[in-house]
Amino acid sequence: MGRYVIRRLLQAVLTIFLALFLLHYLTSLSIQINGNPAYAFFGGQITPTQEQLRVVAERYHTDHPCLKRVGDPCLSNFMDTLGRYANGDFGQDLRFRPVSDQVVMRVPNTLRVFAINIATWAIAGIGLGMLAAVRREKFSDYLIRAGTIISGAVPTFLFVLALKYLAGVWIGGWLRDHLGDDNVLSIIFRPSWDEAHPWLTVILPGIALAVIGTAGITRLMRTSMLENIRSDHVRTAKAKGLTGGRVLLAHTLRNSLIPVVTLIGLSLGGALGGAVITEGLWNIRGVGQFVFNAVRQNDTPIVVGVVSLVVICYLLFSLLIDLLYAVLDPRIRYE
Amino acid sequence: MATKVQTRSNILDGLDTSRPLLEVRDLQVEFHTRDGVAKAVNGANFSVERGETLAIVGESGCGKSVTSQAIMGILETPPAKVAGGQVFFHGVDLLTLPKDTRRRTRANHVAMVFQDALSALNPVWTIGYQLGELFRKHRGMSKAEAKKKSLELLDLVKIPAAKQRIDEYPHQFSGGMRQRVMIAMALALDPDLLIADEPTTALDVTVQAQIMRLLAEIQAERQMGLILITHDLGVVADVADKISVMYAGRIVEQAGVLDIFARPAHPYTQALLRSIPRVDGKGRKLEVIEGLPPVLTRIPPGCAFAPRCHYAKPACRERVPSLEVVENGRRAACLYTAEVLAND
Repeated sequence: MGRYVIRRLLQAVLTIFLALFLLHYLTSLSIQINGNPAYAFFGGQITPTQEQLRVVAERYHTDHPCLKRVGDPCLSNFMDTLGRYANGDFGQDLRFRPVSDQVVMRVPNTLRVFAINIATWAIAGIGLGMLAAVRREKFSDYLIRAGTIISGAVPTFLFVLALKYLAGVWIGGWLRDHLGDDNVLSIIFRPSWDEAHPWLTVILPGIALAVIGTAGITRLMRTSMLENIRSDHVRTAKAKGLTGGRVLLAHTLRNSLIPVVTLIGLSLGGALGGAVITEGLWNIRGVGQFVFNAVRQNDTPIVVGVVSLVVICYLLFSLLIDLLYAVLDPRIRYE
Repeated sequence: MATKVQTRSNILDGLDTSRPLLEVRDLQVEFHTRDGVAKAVNGANFSVERGETLAIVGESGCGKSVTSQAIMGILETPPAKVAGGQVFFHGVDLLTLPKDTRRRTRANHVAMVFQDALSALNPVWTIGYQLGELFRKHRGMSKAEAKKKSLELLDLVKIPAAKQRIDEYPHQFSGGMRQRVMIAMALALDPDLLIADEPTTALDVTVQAQIMRLLAEIQAERQMGLILITHDLGVVADVADKISVMYAGRIVEQAGVLDIFARPAHPYTQALLRSIPRVDGKGRKLEVIEGLPPVLTRIPPGCAFAPRCHYAKPACRERVPSLEVVENGRRAACLYTAEVLAND
């Protein structure tokens, strides 16, 4: 197990390094092709003096001569950037506020969204997949499978918008009229996030974000369960005179979870992207909304800083998933 | 703790020990497939006493594994369906028991060893967990007690360094050791009847002999009934007391092991015996049985073996021969048994 963890950690460090370099190279290339981004700071309204441009370029680290040579990977610049990242400095936004401070402030809300998201995957995805497998070829199986096709086909932004109107406005409106504004249900069904109820008002958007991933997880869980239900070791478990419930939970579920955990890891990447839109549309003050607004205001430093952070988070997630994988499957541990 | 410990004496009511340990009567198992109904087992009759070894022999797909799984009650239903017959355990018909009682007979009264121990053991649990589970779930033992019992079992099946190996996973064991674990698991609750479905097929020849010897030893010691399912007559020669030969879902010959080897009464048994490679047959071409067993959804009318049989006459294709007594206790399902016996 120890060797597996060390090997996986080294891989993660290398991947983070490569991902950050790619990000750095793309940013450098865009500056090399499009010219000095310091102009963006002045918003095109006024013509800045050379002195003003120099100060801005220096502050955003875009003054390096390599940025004038198209195709130059700007390695020394990259090392500087890595050094600043290592010190927790992810740059400043156009109003000179450190990106990292704002991110840290917003992280708890994003974590709330993801907590709901992962809970939905675990309860709905794994639960429905199990149910469909146990009741295969019966009505509930067909219903669940039809549901996964529909929910898997609806893009997150569309689902968030639909939910905002259907649940937040229609159902929420009815609830607020009949139960009062402060009823728990009325709060849950609010069409946007509320700082006073950071958990309750994040439930609906969290579920909306999870829908697209749930479809895949449900289907994979069903297939994986069916494969295991027919396997020889389940037959052995039955021959051991164990109860149906025990055969299902101890000898089928755990084995079936192994591929599903991998898919959950992959889906997290998609959900990180989806969170930008969901948080933006639901006004959740999280990291995603931060990027959502930054993109709308052309605030490139924020986007680059946050994307770097997201890359690191994603790789940490997948590291966690790989370790979980080893916990579930002893054959991985001993390889 | 004493109140929690369950024994197996309270599982089945009305056991009559004067009746055979296991008596299968006219067992019928069908599979409902897209191509129609496949009669996997079509009227099997046999019995096993305590301390006795019955070998069920036949080619792949002849219904021998299905028979054993029907006795255990672990067939996937659907597609399988036990369409008729009785399975008496000391006079109690297992097929009519309530589901939960039936479940508790498994491992307690009738246990099973499967063919490929690597896939038959759960890859994600340790050997100790899979063994101990039996004691914890059936006997209500604590983890520590169950572990102690599991160690005893591993010693019984002669797994060296059991103390260390108990916390290992199936993939860390060799094929022979894994099969020993399987056997330990089947023996855990001291069953009256053990069904071994091709227990040595996945193993090296040298290991095969060790496993067979181990099974025979334990059976003799515990006076269990043993049903040995195999496609290899050579494997059963020195351990079986009697043999039932199956073909296309039916038992075609039933006799003591010596009779079968000395003078088979059914053309199929004769052909099977001739296809065992012999040391003194060096240089001679190995005999094979021409053709293939019939597809179970389309068993030809009359005797199912007739298309591959050297003795077949037009009458064979008209009616199904029943399993008739040939001589002192041996039975065969062939219209021309006398000819077959004379020809050996």
